Amino acid sequence: MSTLRLFTMFWVLTATAAVGLTLPSPHALAESPDAHASAVSPSDDDDSASSDDDDSASQVTEPVATEPEPAADIPQWQANLQVDAPPYNSGLNLELSWTVGEDSAVPSGWAVLRSDNPDDGWEVRTEALTPDSRSYSDKLTDDPLGEPVLSKYHYRVLALPTGLTLAAQEPIEAAGSKPQQKENQNLAEHEQELSLYAQTLKEAQGKKIAILLGTAISSPVVAGEPVATLFNSSVGYLMMLAIILAVGVMIFYFTAQVRAGKEIFIRRIPGIDAIEEGIGRATEMGKPVLYVPGIDELQDIQTIASMLILGEVSKKVAEYQSEIIVTCCIPIVREVADEVVRAGYTQAGYADDYRSINTRFISSEQFAFCAGTNGIILREKPATNIYLGRFFAESLILAETGFVNRSIQIAGTAEATQLPFFIAACDYTLIGEELFAVSAYLSKDPRLVSSLKASDWVKVFCVACLVIGTILATFGIDFMSTLFTMTGG
Amino acid sequence: MRTTLPLVITFIVGMIMLGEAFIPHWRYRVISENMFEWGLILAAAAFLLGLINLVQVNLPKVLRRETDWGYKAVMLVALVATLIVGFAGGADRLNNGEAYKWVFDFVFIPLNATMFALLAFYIASAAFRAFRARNIEATVLLVAAIVVMIGRVPIGEALSERLPTLVNWLMEVPNTAARRAIFVGAALGAIATGIRIILGIERSHLGGD
Amino acid sequence: MYRWFVRFQNMDRRWIFLGMAIAILLPMLSPSSASFSIDRPVRDIYEKVESLPPGSTVYISADFDPGSRPELEPFYRAVLHQLFGRDIKVVAGTLWASAPPLVLPILQEVAESHGKVYGTDWCFLGFKDGKELAIKAIGENIPKTFPTDFYQTPIEELPVAAGFKQLKDFNLLILVSAGFPGIKAYVLQVQGQYDLKMVGATTAVSGPDYIPYYKAGQLLGLSAGMPGSAQYEKLVFLDAGTCSGFEKTFLNSESCVRAGHTWVKRPPKVMPERLLGIEALSVLNLGHLFIVGLIILGNLAFFVTRPKGVE
Repeated sequence: MSTLRLFTMFWVLTATAAVGLTLPSPHALAESPDAHASAVSPSDDDDSASSDDDDSASQVTEPVATEPEPAADIPQWQANLQVDAPPYNSGLNLELSWTVGEDSAVPSGWAVLRSDNPDDGWEVRTEALTPDSRSYSDKLTDDPLGEPVLSKYHYRVLALPTGLTLAAQEPIEAAGSKPQQKENQNLAEHEQELSLYAQTLKEAQGKKIAILLGTAISSPVVAGEPVATLFNSSVGYLMMLAIILAVGVMIFYFTAQVRAGKEIFIRRIPGIDAIEEGIGRATEMGKPVLYVPGIDELQDIQTIASMLILGEVSKKVAEYQSEIIVTCCIPIVREVADEVVRAGYTQAGYADDYRSINTRFISSEQFAFCAGTNGIILREKPATNIYLGRFFAESLILAETGFVNRSIQIAGTAEATQLPFFIAACDYTLIGEELFAVSAYLSKDPRLVSSLKASDWVKVFCVACLVIGTILATFGIDFMSTLFTMTGG
Repeated sequence: MRTTLPLVITFIVGMIMLGEAFIPHWRYRVISENMFEWGLILAAAAFLLGLINLVQVNLPKVLRRETDWGYKAVMLVALVATLIVGFAGGADRLNNGEAYKWVFDFVFIPLNATMFALLAFYIASAAFRAFRARNIEATVLLVAAIVVMIGRVPIGEALSERLPTLVNWLMEVPNTAARRAIFVGAALGAIATGIRIILGIERSHLGGD
Repeated sequence: MYRWFVRFQNMDRRWIFLGMAIAILLPMLSPSSASFSIDRPVRDIYEKVESLPPGSTVYISADFDPGSRPELEPFYRAVLHQLFGRDIKVVAGTLWASAPPLVLPILQEVAESHGKVYGTDWCFLGFKDGKELAIKAIGENIPKTFPTDFYQTPIEELPVAAGFKQLKDFNLLILVSAGFPGIKAYVLQVQGQYDLKMVGATTAVSGPDYIPYYKAGQLLGLSAGMPGSAQYEKLVFLDAGTCSGFEKTFLNSESCVRAGHTWVKRPPKVMPERLLGIEALSVLNLGHLFIVGLIILGNLAFFVTRPKGVE
């Protein structure tokens, strides 16, 4: 099945799945304080202060006149707590924001309470917001499959006077800590203890909320409804999608051009030419080639690029009837490298010459890996060292040891901090994107070469955006930065 | 089938992970996060394979008394000893008095610091060799390197009050501009590489066409 | 002379190593002090911490190993002294497997010197694997990511950490990071999403990488390498003197104390025996001078010995 057909089929399937996943999208709404005066039901433990609190919730624009503890740090509510679903969100978050009166003093902190149904009581979401906080992002559930997201949540924000947090914590501390299973205690007894503790803790949390509600000043209760977005259609994400699609389309376009007979020019990259020369040198000297694919995990794009290059390099090494040693810092990279080298030898027609023992895991500790690889360089004396991938502080140590051994050294990384060391110590260095061009350059496959052309054109587009954006920004026009701002995610 | 099946798997998984950037819906994220966890589990399992590979490569060389077999013997003994003390120590292995903590404090930390300290000497040797005014670009590199090295330490400030300002300008303007250029180029190269792999155009890791 | 230059150009590397060793050892045996100024990004970290009210809580991600210890430990110690000295609570964690045995003893030592109690004034959550995924998880839900601390105590039983669900809940995030995962990963994964207030300290090699983040305001302050650590030590321990008008007005009033008719910097509550960063600067001085001297002599030798007519 051709790649283009597969590509098209996938997007059709995705669109079909999208219809099945669509959720309704109501709006976040704020209920009127009067309507909620009865909905805010005090729990059994609430004292009369909480009913005063409810009265204040229905008269939100007026300062609270009768407070049991008229501390100086209570703000004056202006009934503008807002609960919104963030744009382009997973549907698991709600954003709260609130303001206080200009003349009001600042409380010692804020707490946020949430309830599925105010009649059933409240849950403390946080009580550690700093005095200058005016917003809070609430994660509705950590396990949306086990604890499904509801269609509506109710919130209230409490302004905490000094000392209230400590006072409210007392019932929780009185409940004690979670009982640990004692020696010689059977599981059933321990589970009964845990169940009793859970009940005690629940009661203590109810008392805590009662203390908070009884003393702190509460905002009106506001409801919010989460919205799960199916597709992030913000400008920045659309721009990113456009760039990815443009690269894909241009790859097909330029491949068609190459197949039609047009030549694509790639500038000469001495470092990549040196790879083949280095393999030839190793064959002449009867010494191996050392290949180090960096020290990062397999999912890093530089390691992936290095594995792709290793395929080409191992094929050439097999054709030259030479030997390649690959040293790996991550075990799974070693397994993948083993298969890649084996495939390279097989493709060259020398499957029997492949020796798995030459693809070695050294250590997952950075400097232990460096020391081990240095040992291989000094003992097995490779004629050519190829360092392609993501490196950190060990880069210079490897390169200097290779220099002592008089190896030809070719390095390539997109890690800008290590480039100076490679440039100083190696014979050839591939900088940044040149690392990603190696496999195309070595294989000369028209499809790979056309992808280089595609990314070059996107680069021209990026440079044009930078120049135009800079000029516009100088005159105060932020159009370009808006175009590339990514919202949501 | 040998090359087609991996390509199909790569395409499907690649598209799912690519979709995660554009589809914020939590149902989709559950799928992509599970797949990422599978990858972490595989990577953890590969540690055992790495251990086997270490022994497979080095033990025969010790048994056959090949060149420098002594170093390999030391490595194998250290491997086994650290495994034993680590398992024996359990959750308390990092407490004071534990053998594992002793190995960490008196073997690992000094060796790690020693290897890192080698960089100071190697930088001197590499700088002496590499910084030659062979042409204009090399001369600019050489002068910038000297200015930054002197300006970064108190002696530079003692020589001239303007030197640290010049150094900060060099690091914040031309250096940052060059790094950003490398980032942009590398990011675009990474996008092209990713698309090539997902679409199955890049097959060199599977032995080519 | 010509032959001397030829021999100099081709000398054994071990002479360079010996010279470097002498350049490092001499200042260590007899350290000298030199004055130095404070860079703006380092001062920003200090002022940010000074502006936190007592009783605030900060999250520290201490991600360094023995190799980067000399560059980052002085900063780490200095910032802990500053925090505990101002009665600011500390919750610390790490993303590097080799970090806990290094960062925990230092945290413990500084906390105990200030009479701080574990669980109430500070705690250490331990190491979390997963790199960027771990950072995202910490940003979203701390109790789920660290259900227990390093000593296996449930996090809800630690008063200092109990109320904090997300990184956003902390007053400040301090990143002491030697590489990856570290500052860059935090900036990319969580800073923008949660609009976090973050400051960072890193190695000299990585410092230039993070300048764009500082310039863009994603990092509120940045300390790079040993010079940065030494400057921070100076700010915390040595920079006594008159408070400026800015410091009196905009920083927390506890930074400055009355002394007669003037306001002076509040002296540190606990003064460590040694200031490692400042001591190390004399080593840096001579080390850098040695390398610069080598380069200059090497170029002189290059020009003297170069065949005539060849560029």
